[in-house]
Amino acid sequence: MASDILNTAIADLEHSMSEEPRTHAIDFSRLERPAASADLGQEETCLETRNLDLYYGDKQALKQINLRIPEKRVSAFIGPSGCGKSTLLRCFNRMNDLVDSCRMEGEILLRGQDITRASLDVADLRRNVGMVFQKPNPFPKSIYENVAYGLRLQGINERRTLDEAVERALHRAALWEEVADRLDDNALGLSGGQQQRLVIARAVAIEPEVLLLDEPASALDPISTLKIEELITELKENYTILIVTHNMQQAARVSDYTAFLYLGELIEFGDTNTLFTNPGRKATEDYITGRYG
Amino acid sequence: MSTDTKEHDARLERAFANQARKRWRRIKDLLARNAIGFGGVAVILAIVLIFFYLLLIVFPLFQPAKLESGRTFTAPAGTPLLLAMEEQREVGMLATAGGEVEFFRIRDGSPIARIAVELPATPTGFGAGEDRTGIFGYGLANGQAIVVRHRYQVTFPNDKRLISPVLEYPLGEEPVEVDPQSDALRLLTLQVAEDTAAIAAITDDGRLVLANLEKQESLLGGGGWNLSSRELLPPQGDIAFLLMDKDQRELYAVTRDGHINYYDISNPADPKRVETVRALPEGSEISALHFLTGGISLLVGGTDGSIAQWFPVRDDNNEYSLKRVRGFDPLPGAVQAFAPEYNRKGFLAADDQGNLGIYHSTAGRTVLVRKVANSGISQLGVAPRADAYLALSADGLRFQRIHNEHPEISWSSLWGKVWYESHAEPEYLWQSSSADNDFEPKFSLTPLTFGTLKAAFFAMLFAVPLAIMGAIYTAYFMAPPMRQVVKPVIEIMEALPTVILGFLAGLWLAPFAEVYLPGVVMLLLALPLGVLVAAWLWRFLPGSLRRHIPDGWQAALLIPVLCLIGWGAIALSQPVELWFFGGDIRKWLTAEMGISYDQRNALVVGLAMGFAVIPTIFSIAEDAIFGVPSHLTQGSLALGATPWQTLARVVILTASPGIFSAVMIGLGRAVGETMIVLMATGNTPVMDFSIFQGMRTLSANIAVEMPESEVASTHYRILFLAGLVLFMATFVFNTLAEVVRQRLRVKYSSL
Repeated sequence: MASDILNTAIADLEHSMSEEPRTHAIDFSRLERPAASADLGQEETCLETRNLDLYYGDKQALKQINLRIPEKRVSAFIGPSGCGKSTLLRCFNRMNDLVDSCRMEGEILLRGQDITRASLDVADLRRNVGMVFQKPNPFPKSIYENVAYGLRLQGINERRTLDEAVERALHRAALWEEVADRLDDNALGLSGGQQQRLVIARAVAIEPEVLLLDEPASALDPISTLKIEELITELKENYTILIVTHNMQQAARVSDYTAFLYLGELIEFGDTNTLFTNPGRKATEDYITGRYG
Repeated sequence: MSTDTKEHDARLERAFANQARKRWRRIKDLLARNAIGFGGVAVILAIVLIFFYLLLIVFPLFQPAKLESGRTFTAPAGTPLLLAMEEQREVGMLATAGGEVEFFRIRDGSPIARIAVELPATPTGFGAGEDRTGIFGYGLANGQAIVVRHRYQVTFPNDKRLISPVLEYPLGEEPVEVDPQSDALRLLTLQVAEDTAAIAAITDDGRLVLANLEKQESLLGGGGWNLSSRELLPPQGDIAFLLMDKDQRELYAVTRDGHINYYDISNPADPKRVETVRALPEGSEISALHFLTGGISLLVGGTDGSIAQWFPVRDDNNEYSLKRVRGFDPLPGAVQAFAPEYNRKGFLAADDQGNLGIYHSTAGRTVLVRKVANSGISQLGVAPRADAYLALSADGLRFQRIHNEHPEISWSSLWGKVWYESHAEPEYLWQSSSADNDFEPKFSLTPLTFGTLKAAFFAMLFAVPLAIMGAIYTAYFMAPPMRQVVKPVIEIMEALPTVILGFLAGLWLAPFAEVYLPGVVMLLLALPLGVLVAAWLWRFLPGSLRRHIPDGWQAALLIPVLCLIGWGAIALSQPVELWFFGGDIRKWLTAEMGISYDQRNALVVGLAMGFAVIPTIFSIAEDAIFGVPSHLTQGSLALGATPWQTLARVVILTASPGIFSAVMIGLGRAVGETMIVLMATGNTPVMDFSIFQGMRTLSANIAVEMPESEVASTHYRILFLAGLVLFMATFVFNTLAEVVRQRLRVKYSSL
């Protein structure tokens, strides 16, 4: 298997050296359509996109995405900068609605329900599809209030309920031990890694079904990154997790499934092990071996 | 080898170039650092200089009075009755019981002239008029009185000032027949005005007689005085002092044991005794009595050293009664003599132990008490400019210069309620000048500060909700292309000269609001309600229509709605006035609500000045809200918050330091704003919080009065003090705002 990869790599190298000057573009003639969708086997589908197109003004950012995300698994989106992986992630909780010129076509199904329809209560959707951003963004409030925020939004104000929910969420986010004695301190006093876990606790506190993580560790130091990764592994028992990452090792470490996007197209989606060891597409292989991106 | 050298040279050259570049960079660094440092320090220095300049002007107000070292010389012979001095402090005058008037040089006490008043009979009584007039007179044993005046002529022979004293007979050299019964006049008081004169006297047998004289102009020139004299209701007790005010309206006959008989002689045909009051507690006696300048207040000095001010106070029934208004710090000994300053409400008092006290009545202040003689002072005279005094004691005549520029100032006269002359009760008043020297200046900064705060309050009441709501909408909901138009337009409003806003408010808005008062009030209520109703109706429009308006542009639809409401409110104004307020809302307000309506009132100022501060508040608040990091709003939205929840719980909270400073800077501007309040308030320094009343602010007061105030006068310095108060208020406001802002920022600032 390893020699296979090596061989292809060498062949590719020769090919690129001998024929045309090397470019960063993928040779689309070598792609086969439709883009392969993973064989999910026994997995249940949590999220599904059907012929999803997305435009920023005139520019098309996502092209015909067809994807099925398995339930209670970690799915990673990888791809070079600007490939549309964050945009795709933001489709699942309609955060793209905040961008004025953004237009979406196609369908996204969450457990069979179309979430692209205009009549949908977006706030309701976002309650079910939590999101964590690249940069830790705790609110300028106490640690406790940060975690309780989502609950208070829903009108839950009983102290007991909040106390329990906050403690549970902080436990799940593996932060409880570190902040138990200073819940009333300002959240901005925490370290970057702690802040990111706090933000995860905040998202977890409202018991979503899906967690979207948009490069959650890219602004953190290696130790914090490790903690976040451990956390993701623990969280997948309860949540379907989608993670966008630049770091392929991270994708390989934490995800069960990986999607590779390039220039707004879904090139390949499959079992992480297979995708990394035996990519079905040349472009995927080029990317994961560091040939571009 | 040669290539090596070349290479070496090249490297050297590069190194030099490098060196030069480095040096140049260092110079630029140094220049930049120093220029910026200089700029910063210069700004601070400029502000400190302004502060110190204000302080420098204001400082003399709070300097204590000083006495120069004086001199004592032998007094002229005779029993002294009146001691006076002319304006240049060169010539003094002493009138004696024997009818002799001695003029002397104050430099050394050497006599200038000794003039004997022509007296047809033995003098038995003596009285003096208002000090400034120089009038005094002798009562004679035959019931007649003779009136004289001392006056000073200034000439400049050989370019040297020469002051020559003159003694005149303003009522003619013939004595006036005061008592028709020709009894000796024991006590005398008199006043001579332009064409009226009055003499009151207590006769030997205890009657009180009043003689009124009126000038008769004959066509041939000359003329005489028409005399009518009558007897008044006899005073109670053994009268020791008799005083008549300079307007010949009030007469006080006072016993030594403290009873004041108060007569109203304003109608010469019908003089009446108003009341008799006791001025001193049992056990002490009145030892000196004198008018304060202006002839309204009586100064009552007791044997116990007490000094009190009394004046007639009008009650609700328009009747006067004599009231003790204030007391002063007592002198150690019995008060023997008073000398009121000619042009101010200050006075000097002396006791029987040689102590001299300088007081100011309005300020309720003891300026200075000093022992100036070894024995009791019997006579006291003050220079017309209140810059020197003459005191007669057993030691002789003592002359001393006084430096007492600003006795009017005390904490209570600036900030407290003061019982001014002729007022029914203590009040806060600002009334700095009048045509008359007898006027008591009223320098209370309280109504001005009140006016400043009132104007600022109404302006903020109007501006803060509008500006902050506008800022929230613009920053958070408005479509970016619309925001790009709206924000600069509102900011340009800030550049509008406030004088334009001021005259629009004063000349257009104030009369407009007066005519359309119901309409303007309805407008203020209907506009916000109308916006809400329009927004509510918007929801019922078909979706297809609604989708035609791009997100964030909906506000533009409100413009015709607002115009319609505005037009409707004004159009309905007169019908509403007719139906509900009997056709005249101002009359209705006054009659039904007891509210009086000024044309230039707080409503107008609130609108105009609100308009002026809206851009300031809007601009800063908008920046603050717009600057809330989008990752915070997104974080909130991603947790399922609605835009409103995000706004209320995250955006406003995070922007709160900025919004707070916006409001404080707006407040600072409203407090310091001058032109609008100057032109739109009517500048009446009233203390009434009613929205339909005007006010006068500290800043407008400075603008109005500075041109007419005499440089270095008390008034002038008080205006600077008002400026200093404004400066300090702004400083305190800003410091407080900064402290609060910093604390908010520590709490709510984000990454």
